[in-house]
Amino acid sequence: MFKKITYSFIASFLALNSFAQNKSGEIHGNFDLNMQSYLEDEIIGAEAADEIILNNAYLNINYTKGDFSTGLRYESYLNALLDFDDDYKGNGVPFRYAAYSMGGLEVTAGNYYEQIGSGLIFRSYENKGLGHDNSMDGIRLKYNPLKGVYLKSFIGKSRTYFTYADGIIRGADYEINVNEALFLKSKTRIIIGQGLVSRFQADNNPKFKLPQNVAAYSSRLNIINGGWNYSGEYAIKLNDPVGSLTTEENNYANGSALMSSLTYSKRGFGIVTEMHRINHMDFRSERAQEKQYIINYIPTLSKQHAYTLLALYPCATQTEGEFGAQVDVFYKIKKGNLLGGKYGTKIIFNLSRINALNGGNSYLNDNMEHTPMFISIKEEELYFKDLNIEIHKKINKKLRASGILAIQSYNKDVLEGKTPGTYGVVESTIAIADVSYKIKKGHTLRIELQELFADGGEGSWSMGLVEYTISPHWFFTAQDMYNWGNYEMSKQLHYVNINCGFLKGTNRIEIGYGKKRAGIFCVGGVCKEVPSSNGFSLTISSSF
Amino acid sequence: MRNIITLFSFILIITSCDVVEGPYEIETPDITPIDTNTYVKKILIEDFTGHTCSNCPAAARELEAIHDVYGDQIIGIAIHATNFAVPWTGSGTFEYDFRTQWGEKWSDFFGISSLPSGMVNRIGYPNNEHNLGKDKWQEAVIAELEKIIDFGMRIESDMTNKNITIKTKVLNITEGDYKLVVCLTESNIINWQKDGNDDVSDYEHNHALRTVLIDEDLSTSFSYNIGDEITTVINFDLTSLEQSNNEYSSNEGGVGNIGEWDSSNMSVIAYIYDNITKEILQVEENHLNN
Repeated sequence: MFKKITYSFIASFLALNSFAQNKSGEIHGNFDLNMQSYLEDEIIGAEAADEIILNNAYLNINYTKGDFSTGLRYESYLNALLDFDDDYKGNGVPFRYAAYSMGGLEVTAGNYYEQIGSGLIFRSYENKGLGHDNSMDGIRLKYNPLKGVYLKSFIGKSRTYFTYADGIIRGADYEINVNEALFLKSKTRIIIGQGLVSRFQADNNPKFKLPQNVAAYSSRLNIINGGWNYSGEYAIKLNDPVGSLTTEENNYANGSALMSSLTYSKRGFGIVTEMHRINHMDFRSERAQEKQYIINYIPTLSKQHAYTLLALYPCATQTEGEFGAQVDVFYKIKKGNLLGGKYGTKIIFNLSRINALNGGNSYLNDNMEHTPMFISIKEEELYFKDLNIEIHKKINKKLRASGILAIQSYNKDVLEGKTPGTYGVVESTIAIADVSYKIKKGHTLRIELQELFADGGEGSWSMGLVEYTISPHWFFTAQDMYNWGNYEMSKQLHYVNINCGFLKGTNRIEIGYGKKRAGIFCVGGVCKEVPSSNGFSLTISSSF
Repeated sequence: MRNIITLFSFILIITSCDVVEGPYEIETPDITPIDTNTYVKKILIEDFTGHTCSNCPAAARELEAIHDVYGDQIIGIAIHATNFAVPWTGSGTFEYDFRTQWGEKWSDFFGISSLPSGMVNRIGYPNNEHNLGKDKWQEAVIAELEKIIDFGMRIESDMTNKNITIKTKVLNITEGDYKLVVCLTESNIINWQKDGNDDVSDYEHNHALRTVLIDEDLSTSFSYNIGDEITTVINFDLTSLEQSNNEYSSNEGGVGNIGEWDSSNMSVIAYIYDNITKEILQVEENHLNN
């Protein structure tokens, strides 16, 4: 059935395409290919692939003409890269849609991505790096009845791999820009919004009463005045037991999530303070399914680092319960003094800390009930802590330098879902130096030196990277990660990677060879385990 | 019109939520005993587990809960495999070796990499949908119980003459490639098990796979006549089987469990599976000392 619909859609799309040639519609698209060979490497624990080469590829094509748009995405996993789930297998067109808007009403049929507020109760999105795609298949309406008033509602099923979950997801949301709606000319701008999502799944449990329609709702507020910006959102998810036949596995407690941030910024200075409290807020498109079925999103409260060793132990949001706070300060020392020099100096300070809820997340069944304290920090189990300071300095027209110092605590058992007491907390201190030198016009040399001193985990690491860029077409990089402090002598290994890339227009081709360590890869607090590998890689991206 | 559509969709969604009030457990009717003069569809749940897997007891409890609801139509095997089943030799705690060569073989074949994981009649193989989390077992059981019975089975065990007789009656099959497996399990084994954050020294291990007696063709022919009865007689020697298991343990770095097997707590489980799809079509259980 899925295939029939897809092929019918492709036929219609091609017909429309030929029609479009005469009516000056626009077609845009992009293509991504990621190919990797896998060689066996017993030393780093890398497995060879039976296929030798594995391949992920995507092609998006979108057609727009006036208020009408349609498109599709072809996905190919032959077979999927080893860090993807086996369930991504084969070829298909799992994403296709048609949409039009008229008189303020926008209608989408087919696949779509959607989000309510910051995603606490619902976020449908794709991230190919994480192997995550929970696009919806159904109908979405958006309506703008008045200036500053935005309504949307949707219904559909959520994608996992090449199939759709059993649950039927319904959602609605409104957002009002108060100033626009009431024609206020105040300097203070206020935006409010509320959303609700409900999942239907039949109750087939012979022993326990299960809610067939599980709802989650949220309210949000955004106030902006000059350099000040407050943003807050509170969400509740009603009873959502997993549907087990044992009393202790079915948790009927409501979940909740609170996010709050206050920002102040002016020229050369900015400060962001944030907190969030998450309690039993995991929401999935189907009861008792794996994490690939999650349909809400709770952003992590820690800084997303780009440097490899800073991100070696990343924080993963614990959707079942955590309390965290973060402060970010940005300051630019003006040029013309001792610290600022000729071009000024940027300093960024960041501190985040995340711990368990008091006594664990909310719990309710026939035998027990627990509600954690709203705020409890001191005595609670630490999940993650990151204290870091960055200094970025342009020294002269040719030379730029950055330095970062960080102290991190990483609860490996909790954040990686290991048995409690297995690894404990990894304490690390990380130092980064990044120097970029412009040799001549179009030729830039960049060197990174990274050092991580750790107590626990895999011990200490060093990393060096050299990158040579010939603008606008070429770049070459070589890097070595060395786990010199591993507690097992046999695992004190080098992980060398060499890459070369060519860019022309909207095309980008990169080839590489190297060894990758097994580890955790995260984007915005959503993480996945990546196996070690040894082999060649080819990535191509292109758009038109 | 558009305002009406939007308002209508809002109202629909806002009313789409159920709040369940306690008590949450429903009083279920007593299980009607199975009429032993007839055949009923039975379901095998293969629970892959390990004594150092802290989440595995929850799966064992789910298996017992399913049995409580559906009675003897549910048959379980606890297959100790993967790194979570490796004994901690010399630790004084998790030294018992529950592993068997068949457990490791099946674990590899069915791609069991994380525990707990289970298969309900191996449904979903080979589409990579056979490894189910414990909370999906019950749903799979409901679907399986609705299927037509293909085979009827009876088990007779004779400890004196050391043989087991499996009588299979063809009920709804005329052709196919089927295999018969007969194995022994043991319950009431008191030993160490991780359970959540606790190391439990006196955990009761049930349905633990001890040995496989046969895994062979059900018949010499691929054709069957409805009503045919196939009799399979298996001779066994419990002492040598235990010794063989002990040797396997020694070869795998364990210290074995010589003298630990207790025939009074052992059961015979026999099942028939489709050799192409690996689906288990019927299963039966009886005490070894029946």
